[in-house]
Amino acid sequence: MPENRLVSTLRSLGPLVGLLLVLVLFGSLEPEKFLAFQNIRTVLTQTVIVGLGAIGMTFVVVSGGIDLSVGSSIALSTIVVARVLRDGGSPWLAAVCGVLSGACVGILNGALITRLKIAPFIVTLGTLQIVRGIAKYVAGEQKIDAPASWLADLMTKSPSPAWLIVSPGVWALVVLGVFFGAVLKKSVIGTYAFAIGSNESTAVLCGLPVSSIKIRLYALSGLLTGLAGLMQFSRLTVGDPTAATGLELNIIAAVVIGGASLSGGVGSITSSLVGALVMAFLANGCNLVGVPNYAQEILVGGIIVIVVAMDRSRRMT
Amino acid sequence: MTMCRFATATVAAFILILTGCGKDASEGRRVIAVIPKGTTHEFWKSIHAGALQAAAESGVEIAWKGPPKEDDRDEQIKVVEDSVTRRVSAIVLAPLDETALAASVAEAAKDGVPTVVIDSDLKGASHSSFVATDNEKGGMMGAERLGSILGGKGRVLLLRYQVGSASTEKRERGFLAGIAKYEGIRVVSDNQYAGATAEMAYAKAEDLLQKFPDIDGIFCPNESATFGMLRALTSVGRNGKVKFVGFDSSTKLAEGLRNGDIHGLVLQNPFRMGYLGVKTAIDVLDKKPVPARIDTGVMIATQENMNTPVITELLSPKLPPTVR
Amino acid sequence: MTSTAPIRLSIEGVTKSFGATQAIRGVSLNINAGEVHALIGENGAGKSTLMKVLSGALQPDSGTLFVDGETYSPRGPSDARRRGVAMIYQELNLAPHLTVEQNLSLGREQSQFGFVLRDAMRPQIYDVLRRLGIADLEPDTLVGSLSQGAKQLIEIARALLDGAKVLIMDEPTSSLSRSDSLRLFEITKALAREGCAVVYISHFMDELREVAESYTVLRDGATVGSGLMKDVTDNELVTLMAGRPVERASSHLAENRGEELLCVSDLSGERFPQGASLVLHRGEILGIVGLVGAGRTELLRTVFGLERIRAGTVRVGAHGFRSSDGVDSRWKLGIGMVSEDRKGEGLMLDLPISNNLVLSRVDSVAVNGWISRSALVEKTMKWIQSLDIRASSVDAPVGSLSGGNQQKVALARLLHHDVDVLLLDEPTRGIDVRSKATIWNLIRDLAASGKAILVVGSHLPEMLAGCDALMVMQRGRLGEKKAASAWTEHSLLVEATAGSGDIHA
Repeated sequence: MPENRLVSTLRSLGPLVGLLLVLVLFGSLEPEKFLAFQNIRTVLTQTVIVGLGAIGMTFVVVSGGIDLSVGSSIALSTIVVARVLRDGGSPWLAAVCGVLSGACVGILNGALITRLKIAPFIVTLGTLQIVRGIAKYVAGEQKIDAPASWLADLMTKSPSPAWLIVSPGVWALVVLGVFFGAVLKKSVIGTYAFAIGSNESTAVLCGLPVSSIKIRLYALSGLLTGLAGLMQFSRLTVGDPTAATGLELNIIAAVVIGGASLSGGVGSITSSLVGALVMAFLANGCNLVGVPNYAQEILVGGIIVIVVAMDRSRRMT
Repeated sequence: MTMCRFATATVAAFILILTGCGKDASEGRRVIAVIPKGTTHEFWKSIHAGALQAAAESGVEIAWKGPPKEDDRDEQIKVVEDSVTRRVSAIVLAPLDETALAASVAEAAKDGVPTVVIDSDLKGASHSSFVATDNEKGGMMGAERLGSILGGKGRVLLLRYQVGSASTEKRERGFLAGIAKYEGIRVVSDNQYAGATAEMAYAKAEDLLQKFPDIDGIFCPNESATFGMLRALTSVGRNGKVKFVGFDSSTKLAEGLRNGDIHGLVLQNPFRMGYLGVKTAIDVLDKKPVPARIDTGVMIATQENMNTPVITELLSPKLPPTVR
Repeated sequence: MTSTAPIRLSIEGVTKSFGATQAIRGVSLNINAGEVHALIGENGAGKSTLMKVLSGALQPDSGTLFVDGETYSPRGPSDARRRGVAMIYQELNLAPHLTVEQNLSLGREQSQFGFVLRDAMRPQIYDVLRRLGIADLEPDTLVGSLSQGAKQLIEIARALLDGAKVLIMDEPTSSLSRSDSLRLFEITKALAREGCAVVYISHFMDELREVAESYTVLRDGATVGSGLMKDVTDNELVTLMAGRPVERASSHLAENRGEELLCVSDLSGERFPQGASLVLHRGEILGIVGLVGAGRTELLRTVFGLERIRAGTVRVGAHGFRSSDGVDSRWKLGIGMVSEDRKGEGLMLDLPISNNLVLSRVDSVAVNGWISRSALVEKTMKWIQSLDIRASSVDAPVGSLSGGNQQKVALARLLHHDVDVLLLDEPTRGIDVRSKATIWNLIRDLAASGKAILVVGSHLPEMLAGCDALMVMQRGRLGEKKAASAWTEHSLLVEATAGSGDIHA
């Protein structure tokens, strides 16, 4: 049915239309500042952390789960990276350890959810606190200063070599976005994620190893969260146990603005990344125009509700 | 249908808000971004008032913008970055972190936007001047006040503010150095942090008072910690009995001082800090030489001296005329 | 007997379109007070749309409705209820964690100072429960603990408390046991005698004959026949519905027994089954019948590894399953299952047909962990064509298909997996007559091609006609296996209800 295809195309375009609206709105208010190359480059860099988190979160949300621990996990990663650097490890080692610490948190989440059979919301509400606590413990309750290294250049706005145009972090986001977009849509594990999120009982009936798939999905999400943590470190240049507090909500908001359903079975990586861009351009535009913080918060909250409500009404017709 | 109409109306309302905000960005004048650590404490409001007065005197415009999430370093970095792309003339910044903000201030300098740091110090050499209270001296003055009213003996505790905040860490260091001069005074706790908000400080203070019910003296290094401790002391009925010296001021703290619940408040001059921060930034833009360090002074307020004009002005800080 | 009674509900020339499709076209019918009226039609004939118009969920494009001679144009379901028209849904709308009394008083609590006056409703509630013949039901019982049949009665009780004059019952027996169904028929007739008009929708002819006096047949949104049930034969009704005569599933009884494929001995689960034994041969269709709650579904689920084996063995060929073996081990050895609960378990309604079809064997369309789109489409098209699944495309969500076509997708999954043993739990539940025939034809073709099939079903004529052999399950125990020709509906019922005089589940 051509209508059906039209509806699904519209749905995938929904967040893109939202992004265009934001661009047009602020572009007309502050044309030469908002649409300046330098500003676009800045916003893209600002999107990287939420964007990487959103890629992982999309896998979890599509499979019907949720991960509230990502903000804490990002903080833990910055701490791990900083400690390895401070204790004389090479930047490569630090980066790998930081990313793996995120994966460990993911595996912990997945294991708790499947072994204890507790709802993901509750488990990750717990690990949100636990991981934050671990981060503070590892950090000795203070931020960790690390010696300068090339890791700080991952998120610089003026990259060298200059032909990169945007920071390496942005390139990482683009490459991983394309790759994991394909994984979600076209790979076996992606198909399993949709199946579990759409109807877990069917997945069981069809003999899928649901628990191990879930653990793998949370681990994958954790890996990307760890990478987001590495980027957060690159931006702060210190390990900060209080970093990214509440960032999980921004990440979930990006995924939801991207049209994913929190009840599972619906979502796409590109849309989630567009959702992340909407959030970033919105915040940046508000800063440029000089909107006070309270108005900005009302604006972002309002947009989340409107986008989801419009998505629902689109689905019902 | 109704959904669509609702959405359109809401979007229209947002556009109105936005255009209303954008309008006052007048052309040609210098715009100086003043970036506090947060926007809700009265301390920052006084800085705002001082900045506005300097702006009025010099004919520049102030763009006042704090991080949307208070005490979030990354958010403050974004505000600095966005100020640079907004092409402000100069930045007056109270950095949330002495290291994390250094890179973005350096990038701003590279893009031709000078930064004057206020309140807390910043690492690196990219900023033009540092306008702040001598916090270590402030802490030391607090210790002297507490030491003298305790008669040089007793058990005291220090409720720290927050990890990574350079200004308060200096006050804490100054306090500990000052109190060490009294041989009869023992510091029983100095490793607890009040946290970012007064609410968190209140909870932490309650726990501390539970643990040390017979404490003789207390020092807190900023407004929210002092306020949280005051609330906790009142709730267990120990207010006025425990000798209590705090830092900074607000209406409630001034009232506590008047009632004798607080025995001393170390006062900075935030109005002056905001004022001098902007003035210094203008001097930098005018290519005038500026000192690398400008002290805005500290004083101690007590029940006895609180009605003198100098202290009264510091105790009830001026607020910006329109708090929008 | 009803000709002198007043007309309670009257529908005149009602039309409703969705976009370009006309769902109902100028339907008219009258129902008298005290009459049970059967509304008959294949799925998609417009019954549901008509009922939604009646119950206020949809507004008609044109036409008029009257209740007791007054114009009736409900703005929504609650408005309809106020006017005395109540719909009893297939999926019950009860709160399982609340008691019978709380469910019945929900939305009509009488309160003082914000506190519910618990006792104020009691007399009315007792009165209604008595009218429904369940006065012995404790009002404090949690609804979740009641049998399906009892829940249905609570739903009806709720309508009666609203003072319903017109009751609409949509497939009310689809999840009821035989005895619960019989009780429902009695109650329905009793309510009619009290003056209610009942619109009764069902696919079961025997059921309609039992309860309804008059009928209307819908096809493609229009009325194609109406009259009194006593003046029409089943075959005539089916012809009206389908527009052409449908061949009744013939009772073929080829004794083409091949080798033994599935052997279950002394199998016990957590509660049911209890010491069940059966042997299933290649080419055989074995039916399990029994009351709802007798443990038939549990038998299939335990064999399939969805529920734990407590004692006994399940063997396929020479391989015996351990109690720790999961569902995947069954699929690997060529056993597949179709769940009785299509929406809740059998299918992923939001996902395309293709994903539903290959889920148990995704590797069949994947290379190195990546799905091959062309292989996926090819395999899906193959089954869509060979099973004649009516769908707009391979990407159409399964939820957009009719019940019969959904069931074909569920079956196709087993065929795609190429299993030898098919466990089918109520494969024809809730689908229209013609789809039922198609599903049974398919089952027989599969058996003829050498598959072994174990079917659980509730509709006895269907089971007698479709299966080679039947066994009766009663309270978790399996009876003797006999050829279908050796059973009658009567003898099956006798064995199923033996020793269970208790009607409450």
